Parts: sequence; structure tokens; C-alpha cells
Amino acid sequence: MTALSLAIVVLLAGVVLTTTLPGRTIKFAAAVGSQALAAGLVLWAVVPVLVGRPAVLDHTYAWSYPFEDIRVHVDALAAFFLAWSLPLTLLGTIYAHGYLARSFDEGRNPGPHFALLNLVALSFIVVYTVQNALVFLLGWETAAVSAWLLVIWDYRSQKIRFAGFNYLVSTHIGLFVLVAAFMLMHSRTQSMDFASFATVLAQPGELRDAVFVLLMIAFALKAAFFPMHTWLPRAHAAAPAHVSALMSGVIHKAGLFGLLRFLLFLGRPDEWMGWAILVFGLLSALFGVLSTAAQRDLKRLLGYSSTENVGIAAVGFGLGCLGLTWGRPALVVAGFGGGVFHLFNHALFKCLLFYAAGAIYRATHSVDLERLGGLAKTMPWTAGLFLIGGLAIAGLPPLNGFWSEFLVIGGLAGGGAPSALGNVALAVAAALLGFVGATSALAVTRAFGMAFLGTPREAKAHVADPPASMRGVMIAQAVGVIAVGLVPTLGLALVQPVVAQFTGGDAAAPTAAAQLTDVQHGVWIAVAIGAATVGVGVAMARRVRRHVTWGCGYTVATPRLQYTATSFSALFNRLFEVVLPSRQRGSLPKDVFPTKDGNLAIDHADPVEGRMFEVLAQNEDMAVKVSQRVPDRPRLSLGLGLIVLVALVVLALGGRA
Amino acid sequence: MTTVAIIAAHLAALVVWPILLVGIINRVKARWAGRRGPPLWQLGFDLWRLARKDVVRSSTTTAVFAIAPWIVLAAALAASLVVPLAGPAPLGFRYDFLLLIYLWGLGRLALMLGALDTGSPFEGMGASREATFGALLEPALVLVLIALAAATHGASLGDALATRPDDPQAAPVWVAAIVALLVVIQVEGARMPVDDPTTHLELTMIHEVMILDHSGPDLAAVQAGAAVKLATACALVANLINPVPAAAGRLAVAGGLVAASVGVALVIGAIEATVARLRMRAVPQYILIATVASLVAVLATRWRGLA
Repeated sequence: MTALSLAIVVLLAGVVLTTTLPGRTIKFAAAVGSQALAAGLVLWAVVPVLVGRPAVLDHTYAWSYPFEDIRVHVDALAAFFLAWSLPLTLLGTIYAHGYLARSFDEGRNPGPHFALLNLVALSFIVVYTVQNALVFLLGWETAAVSAWLLVIWDYRSQKIRFAGFNYLVSTHIGLFVLVAAFMLMHSRTQSMDFASFATVLAQPGELRDAVFVLLMIAFALKAAFFPMHTWLPRAHAAAPAHVSALMSGVIHKAGLFGLLRFLLFLGRPDEWMGWAILVFGLLSALFGVLSTAAQRDLKRLLGYSSTENVGIAAVGFGLGCLGLTWGRPALVVAGFGGGVFHLFNHALFKCLLFYAAGAIYRATHSVDLERLGGLAKTMPWTAGLFLIGGLAIAGLPPLNGFWSEFLVIGGLAGGGAPSALGNVALAVAAALLGFVGATSALAVTRAFGMAFLGTPREAKAHVADPPASMRGVMIAQAVGVIAVGLVPTLGLALVQPVVAQFTGGDAAAPTAAAQLTDVQHGVWIAVAIGAATVGVGVAMARRVRRHVTWGCGYTVATPRLQYTATSFSALFNRLFEVVLPSRQRGSLPKDVFPTKDGNLAIDHADPVEGRMFEVLAQNEDMAVKVSQRVPDRPRLSLGLGLIVLVALVVLALGGRA
Repeated sequence: MTTVAIIAAHLAALVVWPILLVGIINRVKARWAGRRGPPLWQLGFDLWRLARKDVVRSSTTTAVFAIAPWIVLAAALAASLVVPLAGPAPLGFRYDFLLLIYLWGLGRLALMLGALDTGSPFEGMGASREATFGALLEPALVLVLIALAAATHGASLGDALATRPDDPQAAPVWVAAIVALLVVIQVEGARMPVDDPTTHLELTMIHEVMILDHSGPDLAAVQAGAAVKLATACALVANLINPVPAAAGRLAVAGGLVAASVGVALVIGAIEATVARLRMRAVPQYILIATVASLVAVLATRWRGLA
């Protein structure tokens, strides 16, 4: 426990040093030094908890304010989150030094930026360990405000200030809801301590239901679940790459942490809670992945994929809750094991992808897929590292994303619900997650193919891999992705203690690692086969001649003739027009022999944000408009009629029962 | 000893059967059209000829293009390990069908990246179609295999494919699963009516247009991978219609499996000979048949759960 307090002191000292010491390198050294020391101290404190000796750390600090004492409690859940949050923040800080070097050259003061990164690291220690609601909220706010200030690094641009403000407002709406939930519980217990909240949450009833809904909304806003994700694509596109990486991979995992922390207090959740989390997660995964297929801004694309991945993790949590309700330890292990493992894996590969996107931006000053191309030749390191992250995010073996998706989908596929209909619902959820995986593969193929393969769509000078410090950070992340991919037990060692908290030390519960042993052998065999065939391929291609790409007889091909990102996903997007409304601008060439040049730009705006403003602006006019449209569209009116009929039948049957 | 025999049988099936399968399909098509058709081993001759050739690669391409064909082949081979091709599958564990699906996904991704690496608009178009149809097929594939696993309470794919219609409860599952898996063969194996493997017009291709620039051993690897994948997909159906019950002994089951596989090949050949390729816009609706059939299969299990 002393180690944790010491880590906080060290981080605060780092804040003071980075802002007061002169010189860029010294400031950087102060930030990195303090964060490395703090990360070491935190690991020193939490690793014993993860291996179970002791199972928890407890300490109470007396506080002179009239809000009780500050109780600090490090259980497996807190230890798990602390174990990777601080080291990954450290990597982000190292990356920042190279990424922002040009701004520093122009005279920007690096002090505040590094200090804010230190504060973010500090907020993790507070949020993950403190059991006093008021201090928890202080840590929560520190993280939110620091993240906001980090996002608006380029504050001179109005667009970026708007994105930052948008984020600030959204995160505070979440804060109000969270405060409301805490006040509800406080009104019952007259205490700010989480232990007293636990007594409220352990009793089924209306109060618990209300608090659960409020908490879910607050944490969903933080973790950017659909439909509360609207701040996310803007903020991720606006922020510097390492800030996007840390926000997506590490900072907003606090939302999922909050969800898990309060799920632990529920004891045996009601059945609707599990279903609510599962459906909510599934919608997020589907919406997020469909949006990734349409984006042309690489960082927006990666932002939407955060919504997708927290959705996959939440499906796991929902399954775990249902397992708790139904008393099925196998489901608890698959659900919470898969979900918690997935958010850890997501932290590894998402940071890697954002760092690679930052390397692209640094070299080409663009992350617009329609303007990139052929970067694999000029940026081979970035290309290889992006591909590793991309394969992992698509959940493909033998990388880390595969294992967590396997656990979640396998858990859904196994059934275990008391009713047949419940099992069918779980199977459908598994199928939809399969669709999410395949669509994610489409998005990755599209992003990697358009940015790195083919020929450059626009001529760019001085395109090169980033310097060694940035490359080293990416390599460190990629090593994590591959290591956990090849030996998933490495990651599961971190996850298992958290799962054990949910199963309550049930000895009959299988471990997640045991479920994966056979699969691991299968994947190793696949890797061996892959190595062998690639070896054969290299050996057989002794003599290689070079020629131009075959153009099917057309010989004056230009780079602009290549398939673009929009054309690649056009077929797919047209099928999901409802979720991915497109906006076309420009004028196409007319007549058989066009005289004027044409141009066309296709964009995909966020449908939720658009509709939200539409609803706010037009109010009841909306309903009138929709009802006027119905008679013109036979398919729509038939569909509505069918829905009404089914609803009536269900109501009638329900009334009889 | 038995393990060694199983692996040996599987390897032999991997080398011989995909070539023969493509030969049988082509022979049926040729006979239907009144031609004699190429020898049954034609694909084998082609692969051997390609393997001895030099490689020509586009100057646009990178290492991705050189490695991709071999990943395609490796993914197809590894995925086939969980499916009984001739005799039991060498690998079998709970939810092994997910490994099959994800390895197929890996192979598809490698093929698409190889296509995009050439910078050719035609190959980009093919990759776009492959990605879209692959994504649309995924729910059907997951659902139908879950349904089979639930119907048999089978842990592995090998057990799940032993579903038989003699149990009246399993009959609708069995029929729906066969319908769904036939569509899976046509989409994953790039066969009619989803894709025409013999077309000459690039704009109408899916699989063939993505490999326009591959040559020599690279092309051989892609074609071998596609044939292995087709054989694996056919084996899914062949296992379901294998007339020999499991009680008849391992050798008899293997014999029945081979006969059933030939039957599936004949059916696919007959479909190819009589049906025209669908318009690209109609393919999603065709895939919907598989999704609906697999949903019917899941609903028909009247599932009490595995746990």
C-alpha cells in the first residue's frame, strides 16, 4: 500500500518537474522517469494480488473532511486494470516525444502535455483503488479533464476545439448520471463508501434497478457505447495519435472497469440486467463495425472500432451476468473471462493501430484513405506493425484478438439458458458476433490495402518510417499482441483472478485457460503449417521477374484508377444504407460525350448524431413527416403492419397466460 | 498407431481428393454439355506445371503479394484438420468449428490483401465482393454449425456432423443444415450460382479476378488452397449424408464418406451445368437462404443446452 501512495507522490513530483524544469529533453526525462518509477511501484504492489498472496490490499486513510475516511482497496479487478494501464501510458508518453517533436521545434512548451499524461496515470491509481465515492469522482474528473486538454493540443483550429468541447460536454453528461446514481445510493445509506453501496445493490428491488440503469448509462457514455458514442469519432480524429491511442485503449476502459466493479456488488443479478448488457453490447459491436467499414478517415475508423470492441467485451459481461443468474459457472467463466480478456487485448492492438496511424500522419500529413496508398514501400516497419494490429483486431489466429473472441462466441454457442428461446437468442448473438468479426476483417483489409498497398494516390515527398523511439513503442505493443496470441495463457494469467472474483472461488468452475488448451494446440499446428508453406513458397520462387500489373489490356493506368476506399466498401455499404447513410457532393459527367470534368465526393456522417440534432430541431414535425411517408412505401407500411400484428398477438397471448 | 493412421489418411485425402473433386465437377459439367471433358486429374497436372515455372510479379507489389498465396494454402490446410475428410478428423475439440471459420477468414483476408497489393482496379473489385459476401455468409455458417452441435450435443465438429435424420427431432435440423451448407459450399468455394470459375469477363468474376496477377508456384498455391477449401466445405455436407452409421466400424464409415463426397461433387457439378450465375446484386439475397435455413436449424433443435 505504501508503494501505491509513493507512486502517487512520484507522479505528482513528475508533474511539478515537467512544468518547472527548463529544456525539452529534461522535461521528457522527468515525465518518463516518474511514470516508469510509478509503474514499477504499482506493479510491485499489484502483482502479489494477482498471484493471490495476499488476495486483497486494504488500507484506510483518515480524512479531515466530513466525508468519512478514504478507504483504499486493491482486489484482483483493480490489480488487473492497474497492471497494464500505467505501463501503456508510459509507452504513449515515449511516443509523444517523437510524435510532437515538430511542434516542440516550433516553440510549443512540452511541459503541460507531459504533466497531463502524468495526471492521467495518477487518475488510474485513484479510480481503480479508492472506495470513497467522492474521491472516486475526483479521480474520474481528473482523467476526463486531462483527456480533454490532451485532445485539444492543436487548439488553434476551431474544428479541434469543437471536437474537444463536444467530448467535454458528453463526458460531463455521463458524470451527472453517475452522480445521480451515487446520490440515490447515498440517500439510502448516508455513506459514501462503496461497501455501503454494495449493501444497496445486493438487494433486488426498484432502487437497485434504477441505480443499475443510471450506472450503465454513465459507464456506457465513458466507454463510448452505441448510441452514446457521438463524441468519439470527432475526438479521436482531432487528438494527437498517442492521445487517441491512450483514450481508446486505456483511459476509457475506466467505463468498463466501473461496470465490472458495480456488477461485482450485485451478487446475483436479475435476468433482465444480463440481457440488457448483452443486447446493448451487441448493438454497439454491430453499429461500430458497420461504421468502420464506411470511414475514410483512418483515425475515425479506429475510433468506431473502439465502440465495436467495447461492445464485444460487453457481450461477454452480459453472458457472464446471465451465467450468474442461472447458476452456470461455465458461462460466467466464458463471459467474464472472454470480456475482460478482450478489453486487455484491445488495449494492446488498438494502441498499436493508433500509433501506426500517427506514423502515417507524421509522414504524409493525412489520414484520409482516399489520398494514401503504396506506403508499404516507403514505410515498411509501419506497414508490418499495422498489419499485425489489424489481424489482431479482426480476431484472426494466431494473434491475441482471436482468443477473447473465441471465449465469448464459444460461451454463447454452448447455450445453457433454462429456456430453449434463450438458447436460440444466445446462438443468434454468436452468429452476429461472427458477422462482426468478418466485417471487421473487411474494414482492416480496406484500411491496410488502401493506405499501404498499391501505388500512392497522391505524390508525397519525404515519406519514411518514424524515428526509433516511436518505432520501439509500436514494436513493444506488437510483441505483446503476438506473445499473447501465441501463448494465450500469458494473458489469461492476468484475467483469471478477476474471473475467480465473479465465480466466487467456486472450485467446480472451469478455468478459461483449460477451455483453450485444445484450441491452443490447433493454432500451433496451424502456425507450423503456415511457416512450412511460406518456407516452401520462398524456396520455390527462386527466379522472380518483375513486370507491370496486368491491366486487362488497358495500358495507360494511373494511380487514380485504383479501387478507392469508398468503392471497396460501396457494395457492402449499400446493403446497410439505413445505418450508413452516405452524402454525395459534386457533379457527375453528363451525356455520352461529356464536355465538362466531373467530380464526386462521398462521405458517411454519423447517423446517430445527425438524427439526434434532427429530432432536437424538429420535434413533433418528425413524427408527422414519417407518418406521411408511410403510404408511399409499400414495403415500409407492410413491415409496420406486420410488427403491429406480431405485437398484438404477443400481447394477446401474454394476457391469457 | 490409430492416430498415425488417421493423420496419414487425412493427408492422403488432402493431396488426392481436392484434385479429384474439381475433376469430377468439371467432368459432370462437360458431359452435361455433350463434351468429353478434361481428365479427372487435370488440376493435378496444372498444379505440377505451375510449380515448375518461374514467378512473374508486378513491380507494384510488396512482400504481402509474395506471402499471401502461401497463407491462403496454409489456412485452408489447417482448417481442414477439424473436418473428417476420409475417416475421423485429426483434430477435434469443443467449438473447433470456430477455428475452421476463423482460419477460412484468415485465408480470405490474405487473398484479398494479395489482390489489393497489385493496385489493379479489377482485383480491388474482386476483393470488395469477396469481403462483402464473406461477411454476409458468416452468421449462417456460425448458426448452422451451432445448430448441429446443439442437436447432437456433440463437442467437436466431427461429432456434430454425425447428426442423422432417424431421430425425428433431428430431421428438420438435418434438412435445414444441408440446405445452408450447400450455399456455404457455393460461396466459400466460389462456385455457381455465386461465382463462375470459368468466366472470361473480369467484371463478372469474384475469386478468379483476385488472382489475375499471380503466376507460377504462387498461382499453384492459391489454386491448391481453393481446392482444399472446396473439398473441406463439401466434406461438411458429405458427413451429414454419409449412409454408413458410426457403429459399422471406422473403415466402413470412411468408405461411406468417400462415396458421399463423390455424390456431393456430382450434385455440385449438376447445379453448375444447369444454373446461370446470379447477378451480383442478387447474391446477398441468395446468401439469405443460407441464413434463414440455419436459423430454422437452430430453432428446430428445441434446444436444452449443452452445459
